[in-house]
Amino acid sequence: MRSTAFFHSFLEIPILPVSNPVLRRKHAMEMKPLIDVLSIAMPILYALLVLAYGLVFFRDVEFASRLQRPLIVVILLVHGIYLGARTIAFQHPPITSVFEIMTLLAASIAAAYLYIEWRTTSRNTGFFILSLAFAFQVVSSVGIHDMTTIPEYLHSMVLGFHVSAALLGYTAISLSAVYGFLYLMLYHEIKSTRFGLIYNRLPNLEMLEIMSHKSEVLGFISLTVAITIGLIWLPRVFKDFSYFDPKLLGTFAIWVLYAIGLSAKRKFGWQGRKMMVLTLIAFGFVFLSMTVINLYLSRFHSFH
Amino acid sequence: MNLVSVGISHLTAAVEIRERMWLSEEELRRAVTKIKEQFYPECMLVSTCNRTELYGIEGKVGVDAREVTEFLIEFKNAGDAVRTDHFQEWKSDEAVEHLFRVVSGIESQVVGDIQILNQVKEAFALARESHTLGPVMNRLMQTTLHVGKRTRSETGIGEGAVSVSYAAVELAGKIFADLSRKSSLLIGAGETGELTLKHLLGKGIGQVFIANRTREKAEALTRQFGGTVVDFENVADAIRNVDIVIASVNSPTYVVLPEHVHKVMKQRSNNPLLIIDIAVPRNVDPASKKIENVFLYDIDSLSGVVDRNVEERKSEIPKVESIVQEELQEFLRWVGSLEVGPAIQQFHDLLESIRHQEVEKNIHRFKPEDRELVDLVTRRILNKVLHTPATVLKQESEEGKEETMARVKALRDLFGFSDNGKDRHGA
Repeated sequence: MRSTAFFHSFLEIPILPVSNPVLRRKHAMEMKPLIDVLSIAMPILYALLVLAYGLVFFRDVEFASRLQRPLIVVILLVHGIYLGARTIAFQHPPITSVFEIMTLLAASIAAAYLYIEWRTTSRNTGFFILSLAFAFQVVSSVGIHDMTTIPEYLHSMVLGFHVSAALLGYTAISLSAVYGFLYLMLYHEIKSTRFGLIYNRLPNLEMLEIMSHKSEVLGFISLTVAITIGLIWLPRVFKDFSYFDPKLLGTFAIWVLYAIGLSAKRKFGWQGRKMMVLTLIAFGFVFLSMTVINLYLSRFHSFH
Repeated sequence: MNLVSVGISHLTAAVEIRERMWLSEEELRRAVTKIKEQFYPECMLVSTCNRTELYGIEGKVGVDAREVTEFLIEFKNAGDAVRTDHFQEWKSDEAVEHLFRVVSGIESQVVGDIQILNQVKEAFALARESHTLGPVMNRLMQTTLHVGKRTRSETGIGEGAVSVSYAAVELAGKIFADLSRKSSLLIGAGETGELTLKHLLGKGIGQVFIANRTREKAEALTRQFGGTVVDFENVADAIRNVDIVIASVNSPTYVVLPEHVHKVMKQRSNNPLLIIDIAVPRNVDPASKKIENVFLYDIDSLSGVVDRNVEERKSEIPKVESIVQEELQEFLRWVGSLEVGPAIQQFHDLLESIRHQEVEKNIHRFKPEDRELVDLVTRRILNKVLHTPATVLKQESEEGKEETMARVKALRDLFGFSDNGKDRHGA
């Protein structure tokens, strides 16, 4: 009984103290110019970053190679300021709409890449991974809008865990897809004996497959956690909760797809090209779920 | 710069001539010691399958390069096959530039040859052990090795395999992450197959299996390389347990068919399989290439890889030449700085001795109270005369201007300075 009481009280903990709406609007007005500028600047900065990595990958430009590391660090700092400014201005972390999630995802992918680059000293996958971060940031900057008033349930601590787990899951799945894509490109070059840039610059096939698989496992575990928390929390918060909501069904379908893929790899030894194609298909579903289903079909589980 | 180089290489002589001039380590030691005694106070010898070259710093007395060449031919007792005109000669800046080009691999028979850097490094080490390196050659050694490393790290001159056997190994490295956890099967005992296996072993391949029609030959190879013998009849089955297959059997029909590969791929859970078919006629049915996760290459596709790599290496030569020029100028600047200081000092000493003699000779013509002043004034005149040329020469030397060395030489020639710091006047 005591543990149930604790669990219930845990669910009620607010993620940020709910402040006065008048004060919230005042904060928002003060920080709006900075937020507006950064909202436009972020895609431009990511474009510059992708350009720097592209120049090194395709043209081997030395100047760009010296610029890469400082640029990614600076961009992550600026991104941090942007996210911080949004949090202070609107009195809630940027996790309440798909576009806010996308800018978080962009930062998360860039940070994950910086970690990979630091650990492996390989910069040759940066162009591809950071292109994905750029794409997410562009979509976010185009669609993001200011939410000064949000429902009370979005202040819950549980939402913080739910979103963090989902974010980690989506970041890992995105990385897995990029590695899968690189695997297929390299596979094609090796098979066709047309050895070009991809062949010369990318790590070997087995390494790409390992990186894709590890990211996928991490993504699957995180998604499992996010779904579990969601299934406990959502029925308590939403009166119109339905297990047949398109977003829930979509997310569950993605989870099943990854579960089948990972089990098949474990049980039947599926690997190589087949697994990488599956990874890309699964990522296609993830993207579809994040965009079309989340924006247009979901009834309750959409906060835009 | 009084560096001299004489050498024979693939550009000037055929292999049967070059091989006569190849020196073993022991011969190299003896040769450099004798060369130091007879010709150059600082010297080193590089001897590889493609070149034998001597680099030496001339002492006080000039050396006729032809005499050195004749010495080398006589040392190898190769007068019946090798002539002095098989040798080329480089002097001064050209000799340094030639050494930098050699170590960069752009003078190699196979452009970008990686081995030459180690061979030059060993030659320097051997010369050092034989006490034939002085300050200039030591500095030349450091710069040369730096040039070799720079050209390989900053350009693509050494990238891409340039032999069929190495191209096969490079492919393996692009498919598998850790070769020590992989195994290979050599079918047949062809020369290229053996070489490929050798390269794979060099890359740390985990396990080796060898199959040959003549079992004794396979056993002989396992004694040479290690590994396990597999019955030739069981080759199709053996593929199941390996990751890399090197096929080089002399057979008029295919030894491995697509159905074998299909079956094997199922058994090995679709694990990637690299098949290097270097036999002519081919051992593996090319239809096997269509099977997923099977990477099949024949001799033509590997030769194509090699040709492309060679072309890519050649396209890197301008970048290498630019590094060579950059390092050459830096080295000459250093040499220049070595020579400017002593030349200025000698010039000063000469003028000072003349001043001193003239003052001594004429000092009695002055009143005793003026004599100190005479000495002081003449010293000042001397210092003022010397100030501008000394400053200009030092500055030019620091800036690495090409004409500095010519000016120093002119100064030495005009005033008769020798290398031992004495001028003709005995100052």
